[in-house]
Amino acid sequence: MSLVADAFVSQIAAAEAWPENAALYQPLKGEQILLSDNASSLAVQAFLKMCNLPCQVICRANAEYMSPSGKVPFIHVGNQVVSELGPIVQFVKAKGHSLSDGLDEVQKAEMKAYMELVNNMLLTAELYIQWCDVATLEEITEPRYSSPFPWPLNYILAYQKRWEIQRKMKAIGWANKTLDQVFEDVDQCCQALSQRLGAQPYFFSKQPTELDSLVFGHLFTILTTQLTNDELREKVQNTETLIDFCRRIEHNYFEDHVKDTSTSDLLRLPKGPSMH
Amino acid sequence: MFLLNLPRQVLSLDPLPAAGPDFGSVVGDDAELVEMEPETRQEVLENKDVVVQYVHFDGLGRTKDDFVMYEIGEVFKAKNLIDVMRKSHEAREKLLRLGIFRQVEVLIDTCEGDDALPNGIDVTFEVTELRRVTGSYNTMVGNNEGSMVLGIKLPNLCGRAEKMTFQFSYGTKETSYGLSFFKPQPGNFERNFSVNFYKVTGQFPWSSLRETDRGISTEISFPIWKTSHTLKWEGVWRELGCLSRTASFSIREQSGHSLKSSLSHAMVIDTRNSSILPRKGALLKINQELAGYTGGDVSFLKEDFELQLNKKMIWDSVLSASLWSGMLVPIGEKPSSIADRFYLGGPTSVRGFSMYSIGPQSEGDYLGGEAYWAGGLHLYTPLPFRPGQGGFGDLFRTHFFLNAGNLCNLNYGEGPKAHLRKLAECIRWSYGAGIVLRLGNIARLELNYCIPMGVQSGDRICDGVQFGAGIRFL
Repeated sequence: MSLVADAFVSQIAAAEAWPENAALYQPLKGEQILLSDNASSLAVQAFLKMCNLPCQVICRANAEYMSPSGKVPFIHVGNQVVSELGPIVQFVKAKGHSLSDGLDEVQKAEMKAYMELVNNMLLTAELYIQWCDVATLEEITEPRYSSPFPWPLNYILAYQKRWEIQRKMKAIGWANKTLDQVFEDVDQCCQALSQRLGAQPYFFSKQPTELDSLVFGHLFTILTTQLTNDELREKVQNTETLIDFCRRIEHNYFEDHVKDTSTSDLLRLPKGPSMH
Repeated sequence: MFLLNLPRQVLSLDPLPAAGPDFGSVVGDDAELVEMEPETRQEVLENKDVVVQYVHFDGLGRTKDDFVMYEIGEVFKAKNLIDVMRKSHEAREKLLRLGIFRQVEVLIDTCEGDDALPNGIDVTFEVTELRRVTGSYNTMVGNNEGSMVLGIKLPNLCGRAEKMTFQFSYGTKETSYGLSFFKPQPGNFERNFSVNFYKVTGQFPWSSLRETDRGISTEISFPIWKTSHTLKWEGVWRELGCLSRTASFSIREQSGHSLKSSLSHAMVIDTRNSSILPRKGALLKINQELAGYTGGDVSFLKEDFELQLNKKMIWDSVLSASLWSGMLVPIGEKPSSIADRFYLGGPTSVRGFSMYSIGPQSEGDYLGGEAYWAGGLHLYTPLPFRPGQGGFGDLFRTHFFLNAGNLCNLNYGEGPKAHLRKLAECIRWSYGAGIVLRLGNIARLELNYCIPMGVQSGDRICDGVQFGAGIRFL
């Protein structure tokens, strides 16, 4: 979207208050959603809960194609449609809600750097494991991704997606990495996050920011998702501070809404939805 | 009176206009077939019995003999000279219609040689085959859009009038391509079989929708008595998306991929003298489509028909009445897709309304309906004072029209009475007058002054002058 359109959208957005019927769209929870999409969706849900903005989670098999950017999740607020965490944070800010207003410029820059780290390392690693590791691809990713489509569309669309991700991996130089190298990257990323977190409850002391929601979305999903092997989960489990961090956010923002059908079954450590 | 110069003078049969291999002319019009050499002895042959002994073909290359045999078989059955001429003429028409010859000439001659009968006749067809590959470039006018079409054609691929065509079209709104293979039954051109592969991309601004279809279809056509039938199976992978970010959420919800596999049957009776601006005759088209039983994730039953009656009136004017109607019944839980529903309105259907801008809509994006009807009454007259009569002026007509129609969704639990009531309430109608220009025998242009009536909230109207171009008109 152009800058002018961007500015226009945020101006319109500012004019209207957050409606009660805001909705977040994601793929079908039980049989379709993939680890990476679930992580991104959970990050946005956590962010909105931290902002104390109500949002209903709606599962649609065609959520990916409904999204203006082709990526899930996206939110439908009033007559606006915004996808992915970054633009959603901007959009919510235009409505007068922000988690990072209390930070100074240095802290903001640091927060952005860590968010980039999570997107570049954790998200890319999730995509790599889903689409480039043959065992995961055949056992989990392809059957789940193609579950809403009839034959032969299921093969065509899964192949298209696989090709797209593999091309992306080539472009960023991950195509030649081995699975072990990817796990090593995840491990380093977790170490870095754990060190930054230290003994604080959130990354920037007492108040959560969008970085906290992003880290929570990814780590929690990794911890609660059953893959073909447990190595990815073990990398996260090695860092005690991060597990505590996940428990804290779950406790503070999700547990009092356990009756909320959207997230209740997802968020009980250490058990979680099996991806098989 | 038919004359033939004797003893040996070739008679050329060339009943068609000089325009070339265009098979639109009238069959059996054998009044002007004679070439005379006045100084030789003449004999009246009109009722003389003759026997067709040989039929020769000159110029056959890759065309198979057995295939042309079917087309000229009748010539051997001729009993007198007039018969020979008529049957040869019919055979020529049939040969040209196969679309494999550029030219067909017929020569009728007395027989010679040892076994020649005294009343023996030889018929020779001099044909020129089309090239193995022909290319074409043309511009096309569809329903309110223009496109440039590049085509490659391989006529007579295997020698029995099979045809392979590849078409690439680059249009103002869509780019598409298609590959098709066509095979007629030998001796019965109307019975044919074809397979198509295609990709079509369309943009529908009235719905803020973009649709990309990739599909395979096979069809068989055959005539029964005066009707022509087509049975078709089609498998289409459809991808829907929003045209812009501002598309309404109802359109966004329809985005994504679906696979339609459908069986359909179409029946056509057409007794009109021309498909564009006919003077007389009627057209009835009935179409039915059943999707979902052969695979895919789209299930529905769709029925629609089109009826047109034309009546010649005084002063060269024509009264034309047409009625269209259709119904879509989704099968199973899933609601119907926006790509399958009907749309109404615009210069080719209910005039005075914007293109497909009648009926259910969401934030200005038209969603189509599951049932519709539309009727039109036209009075076509020649231009006032008839300028350019007998030439350019005959391409134009003035017309006065009255159109009406309705498009809505039905609740299938309610029964037929409630359906009729629903279709009869909130009828949109319009009247007006305008000028129609006929483009060849395939398309027409209209410039009308329209007055829309019965406008419902949400409908988009075009009050006043409206321009329309298309192939199919209400």
